[in-house]
Amino acid sequence: MNFLAASIESLGAKVVGWFTVGYGMFAFLVQASLLLLEPATWNRATFDVVVKQVYFTAVQILHVFLGYAMVISWLFITIILSTARDFGLTEFASEMTIRVLVLELLPFLTALFVALRSGSAINTEVALMRVNNELDALAHCKVPPMQFEFLPRLIGGVVSVVTLAGLAGLLAILMGYLAIYGMNAAGFEPYTRTIAKIFDFRIMAGLIVKCALFGLAVTLIPVTAGLETPKKLFMVPVSVLRGMMRVFFAIVAIEVVSLALKYI
Amino acid sequence: MNTLHFKVGLFAAASLLLVGIFMVYLLHARGFFDKTFHLQLAAASADGVAPGVPVVFSGIEIGRVTTLGLNENGGIIIHAEFLDRNARWLKENSSFILDKPIVGGAKIRVDSPDLQAPALPDNATMLLLTSDISKEIPALVERVKAILANVEHLTRKDGEINATLANVKTVTGRMTGEYGVLEGVLGSPEKARAVTDSLDKTRALITRLDAMTAKTDQWLFARDGMAEQTKASLAQVRLMLNDAQSSLKKADAVMANTVEISANIKDGTQDIAQLRTEIDDAVRKANDLINEINRKWPFAREPEVKLP
Amino acid sequence: MAAVAALPDDVARVAPDLPLRANLSALDNIALIPLYQRHCSAAESVRLAQAMLERLGYADLAPLRDPDMTPAQRFATKLARALILRRPRLVIDHPGAMLYDVPYPAFIRQLAERAEMTGTWEIFDFGWNQALYRA
Repeated sequence: MNFLAASIESLGAKVVGWFTVGYGMFAFLVQASLLLLEPATWNRATFDVVVKQVYFTAVQILHVFLGYAMVISWLFITIILSTARDFGLTEFASEMTIRVLVLELLPFLTALFVALRSGSAINTEVALMRVNNELDALAHCKVPPMQFEFLPRLIGGVVSVVTLAGLAGLLAILMGYLAIYGMNAAGFEPYTRTIAKIFDFRIMAGLIVKCALFGLAVTLIPVTAGLETPKKLFMVPVSVLRGMMRVFFAIVAIEVVSLALKYI
Repeated sequence: MNTLHFKVGLFAAASLLLVGIFMVYLLHARGFFDKTFHLQLAAASADGVAPGVPVVFSGIEIGRVTTLGLNENGGIIIHAEFLDRNARWLKENSSFILDKPIVGGAKIRVDSPDLQAPALPDNATMLLLTSDISKEIPALVERVKAILANVEHLTRKDGEINATLANVKTVTGRMTGEYGVLEGVLGSPEKARAVTDSLDKTRALITRLDAMTAKTDQWLFARDGMAEQTKASLAQVRLMLNDAQSSLKKADAVMANTVEISANIKDGTQDIAQLRTEIDDAVRKANDLINEINRKWPFAREPEVKLP
Repeated sequence: MAAVAALPDDVARVAPDLPLRANLSALDNIALIPLYQRHCSAAESVRLAQAMLERLGYADLAPLRDPDMTPAQRFATKLARALILRRPRLVIDHPGAMLYDVPYPAFIRQLAERAEMTGTWEIFDFGWNQALYRA
């Protein structure tokens, strides 16, 4: 009886914990969105910080990222093409390649890439800001940190993931063409037809929304996880660990939901 | 100069440029800059057809079904859209066949036997055949051929009937058999049965063909705007089928008569002579029918059907 | 301590528990306030911040970040940040904890003279340091 009560209690505590975390993120997001609506936000200073964030999240890693996207794309294209040839399904190979890479795999990997690199950095920085009282100092000066610390990071994350995924997708489309038709223009017509068939308005909108959500997840969750950190230095690694775990679950959840919406 | 800003600017400009190029390319691929070509297809049933069903030519998608609807007479009208550059594969003599494979989605197949033919005008109405019927007709034609070959074989000039007729003396003894005069004439019950069976089969077959054209009629004439030529040719098929059937009826009557008057050899032989001409006639009619079907029905690719 | 932290809103504090933003330069730390509180333009904010540092005699530490400063420089930056808030009272909280490398009562006095600020400066310190202020 005691055991039952205890397990129910621990379950309840967990559920309450999830709700608290979810509510925290939601409230944060609402606050950020409201701030976006204020004209005062749209000034040169915010723009500069956004530019800086885009630089650190996307531009700085562009060459590494594109190299990595190229290797992954090349691998998958080769696997799909040779399998399709073995089973006599070559006509579906280009469509399959584009669907798997451009619509699913590359956005997912981009989100993971940005989460690992920028998400963890953001989480650590926010946690340190909190532990070091820097946030209290800003509060004392009546300077809300949202506008110049958090909001630019969210915008930078969204812009970076959308752009990086888009660039990787274009690269994959180009590599797919080269792998299937080689260095000549003969396949342009059929390839164009395949692309036209895949990318209708719904798919494009879905892809952009998905990438934007990925970008939001890899920045919003680390920020809120960092803000939750208790004011003890040894809690910083724990905060990063929790934040990254949540980011991972969020990315998988977004991917699963997008797949479900697309194919069910 | 702020290198950070320069790099971000370069990145943004390059990304926007690439995305812009891709968007223009995509709009081009999806035919945003092309005019769309509209086609209406009249069908007997919209089973398996839905908006988005592809229209394929030689296995390549050239258009899609956009909407389905009913006209005032309850006929089904399927609207399909093509890019202007793809519409050149649609000719006035093109046939549209709804393919419902066992595996995979339904699609509308376009066959244009003559690419020199004049192109279809925009908003033209064409007939959509279902592949069930289109598969059935060649099979039926094959069976007609086989049966007619059999009938013709039995009734050819130096055939068994003639040979038997010459041998009148042996005939009388067999007149009392199950198949009467016919058995006597043909020499054995099996052969007599072969003739009657053949005639029965021909009759049944022609009834089916007839029913089928009637069905075609029903969905052809239920709506307006059907191509005149198609309409006329199908009406002709129907007339010919009627002809063939009445010939067979006559043959049938003769057969019945033959059996009845088995006692009278003289009458019997006369009747058999008549039967021969009737059968010949039926064969000729059926032959014509097949040729006509082959010529008019768009999916028969062989230029002619060889009959014995 | 608790009494100091609970001071009303019209007090600007310079305190060891209110650090500078670590990844911003001294200038940016100060410029934040006109920028986000008074919605000055970016250029105007930087100009105000630079002017404040110059008045205190520390114009050369504008590009430095928190970890690169000496305690005195850090204190000057914090003081500049507090002064630019333009609040009527200034409280320096435990200067000894921030200025462990200089004779701080003299140092603060010297800064206060340069600051040409109207309003009161209050210093909260441990009682045993009272002797230091009698100089």
